[in-house]
Amino acid sequence: MIKRIRDYAALPGGFGIIVGVSMFLSITVIGFARPIFIPYAPDELVGDGLAAPSWQHPFGLDQLGRDMLSRVLAAVPADIGVAFLGVSIPLFIGTLIGILLAFAKNKVFLSLVGSIIDGINAFPLLIIAIAMVTFLGPGLFNVVIILALMNWARYARIARTRAQIVLRENYVEAARLMGYPRRKIIFKHVTPNVSSETLAYALSDFILVIVIISGLSFLGLGARPPAAEWGSMIADGRVFLGEAWWITVFPGLALCWSAISISLIVEGLSRRDRAS
Amino acid sequence: MLATIQDLRIDVRVTRRIRLRIVDTASLTIQKGQLLGLIGESGSGKTMLCRALVGTLNRRGAYIESGSIDFEGIDLVKAKKKDWRNIRGHKIGYIPQSALAGPNPVMRIGAQLAEAINQSGKKPSDEVRRRALELLELVQIRRPEVVLKQYPYELSGGMKQRVMIACAIAQNPKLIVADEPTTGLDVTVQAEIMELLRSIRKEFDTSIILVSHDLQLINSVCDDIVVMHAGATIEKVPSSKVTAALHPYTHALYDSRIDLVEPRGKLRTIKGQPPSVGKWPTGCRFADRCDFVKDVCRTTDPTPFAQVNENQWSACIRHKEIYGGAK
Amino acid sequence: MSKHLIEAKNLSVTFNSYGYIVPAVKEVDFYLDKTEVVGVVGESGSGKSTFARVLAGLQFPTSGEVTFKGENIFKGGAAYPGELRKAVQMVFQDPYSSLNPRMRVINAVTEAVMHHQHASKKDATEIAHNLLQRMGISSTDARKYPSALSGGQRQRASVARALSAQPEVLLADEPTSAIDQSAQSQLLELFAELIASGLSVVLVSHDLGVIRYLCDRVYVMESGIFVESGATQDIFHKPANPYTQKLIASIPK
Repeated sequence: MIKRIRDYAALPGGFGIIVGVSMFLSITVIGFARPIFIPYAPDELVGDGLAAPSWQHPFGLDQLGRDMLSRVLAAVPADIGVAFLGVSIPLFIGTLIGILLAFAKNKVFLSLVGSIIDGINAFPLLIIAIAMVTFLGPGLFNVVIILALMNWARYARIARTRAQIVLRENYVEAARLMGYPRRKIIFKHVTPNVSSETLAYALSDFILVIVIISGLSFLGLGARPPAAEWGSMIADGRVFLGEAWWITVFPGLALCWSAISISLIVEGLSRRDRAS
Repeated sequence: MLATIQDLRIDVRVTRRIRLRIVDTASLTIQKGQLLGLIGESGSGKTMLCRALVGTLNRRGAYIESGSIDFEGIDLVKAKKKDWRNIRGHKIGYIPQSALAGPNPVMRIGAQLAEAINQSGKKPSDEVRRRALELLELVQIRRPEVVLKQYPYELSGGMKQRVMIACAIAQNPKLIVADEPTTGLDVTVQAEIMELLRSIRKEFDTSIILVSHDLQLINSVCDDIVVMHAGATIEKVPSSKVTAALHPYTHALYDSRIDLVEPRGKLRTIKGQPPSVGKWPTGCRFADRCDFVKDVCRTTDPTPFAQVNENQWSACIRHKEIYGGAK
Repeated sequence: MSKHLIEAKNLSVTFNSYGYIVPAVKEVDFYLDKTEVVGVVGESGSGKSTFARVLAGLQFPTSGEVTFKGENIFKGGAAYPGELRKAVQMVFQDPYSSLNPRMRVINAVTEAVMHHQHASKKDATEIAHNLLQRMGISSTDARKYPSALSGGQRQRASVARALSAQPEVLLADEPTSAIDQSAQSQLLELFAELIASGLSVVLVSHDLGVIRYLCDRVYVMESGIFVESGATQDIFHKPANPYTQKLIASIPK
């Protein structure tokens, strides 16, 4: 087992991928498994506010006296979990729509949907999210809805371009020559070759979405107190930065840890790509 | 002798720890005004050898491990970046493979040529224009004044390649390295470009190394042929004597020519594949594919090769037995 | 009623994109008889690939007709409707896009066998392995993904896939142009074998050597029209048309 890991690490990019995956898995697993081994609940008042890190509370206590370690870990389902939803749903919808567009012949349909996609893509996702929050109101659940409603457009554009290329590839023409039914061509031949690219984008998008979630929460537009979420914790801790730096720093580190882990994976994958 | 390559070994850095030897060993000589053909299958190292001659090995993480390249007294192995700036383009020109590289797509042809012309120092624009038109005419491009203003996408493959040739000869180099210049071009265009190279050689006494995988082409165009296999130069033979070659690989290459076979007849293929880079066996690397192989072939290092006469040499240690010596 | 296996009459293909009208094929006539090997030789831009794609049914003609055993292949708006589709298959130039990169080679061929020979997955897999073996691809290699195979192997795998439809005609669009010398020879020998066992072939190529080696008859194409056609020997030794003469003269001696 160790040997296989070492062999994989020797491949171009392999080392980065292994480190990245380990980092990501560790925080995700520990975060979701928090109730099992962290004795304090994230919203339980266990002591005096603003207590410094100690053996009992490695991340200290926040301004209300809640255990920071527990809170930081409790935020994992919020930040990473919601990010996962905010990426996988748009990935699915966007890839589907993109492939559909590549097949469509109706000019009206094409220009309509195409304009919608271009319109959405013209705005940075964070700005759109902030704007949408004014319609839907704050809250993590609404953030998921917003992301699903808006983020698919980026995937659709990638999927559509890629599908147009794939449709011209010889193996798709060969499939037509074979007389395969259209549905089979779409699902067995086109989709796998398109989704490889949208999946790659999804990985990078994950980082962006985590930042958007935290960012919105930081602004008070995402997670609402007393929910544990890194962005809102950072916002809460700002005032106390001088006396109780741990309230801001540890959630911040968790954010960095998550983002870096995915970045390492992305970098490792692109190195592997380049090498072959 | 214009240039001499002796026992060259080239390695490439695959990762920080892994090195691959891709040329081992290559030797060749070229005289003034000679049209030398370099033939080999893909993976034979011929492209790397070209890069060594033009000083672009670094870009692929490759470097010369040992051996020498002497060009008019200059040691190209030890040449530094600033030395190469004076050599590349000025003394040694390069024509890339037509499908892979070409004129810069965002520059007009005139600008591209101007770059090549100004390599020896910035010249006044009317002189540059005059020289550019002269070069375009030399490469037989009709209506050069129009072409000067065009972008590469407006030109055909053959015309783009002529432009690359014009850039290569801009500084009147003594040696031109042409790496598969007509691969992928139509056969009529290929014939014209070969004619062009021949006329350049004749008019300017330029030496040309023509690299190809097409023996038919090299045989009909070049004076002499150097054959490469699995990273080593294994024979040099004059074109006229290729049927009397002294290495089984050269004979196999020649015999596999498709125009020598009757329609749908048995094609003489060379069995097997050349050993992959990094997996070269000891002894002769052609051994597994050779019809004349004996045990001694696998245990004896075929390099250095045997000089048969002043114009011909072969790396086959058994060539005397098999072919009875040179005719 | 056409007596030829494939016949094209007055075939034209004109492309129209954003107002640019490009006539790729201009009113050509063509025929292929059973067990014949016919070549279409031309340089880049001659329209030969477009022509081949029309014969395959991948490209609709602007005018003119193409018949297979007397039947119009574009009848009813679709090309080679129904069971006819199996009869004419094609092998392409680029080995790198000929096979689905996300499908193992054996699966691609098995899929084709299952579709055409109505076999069960198990039987189809065995048939596919045998077919690939005949093409010189071992069972081990067949289980790999296309990226692990060489260009020559990929071309042969594409031929295997095409053959699983048990076609009567194989169209080959520059099958040897993108692979190296030894792979070319292997592929050409494979074609020669298939031809000997009764396959009719239309070979489109710019490589005169390949055309001479495989074809009985040749059509010479330039700028969308057939400038000359005839028996291979005649075209190569007594070319009548100036363009043909220029082509033949450009072959390195």
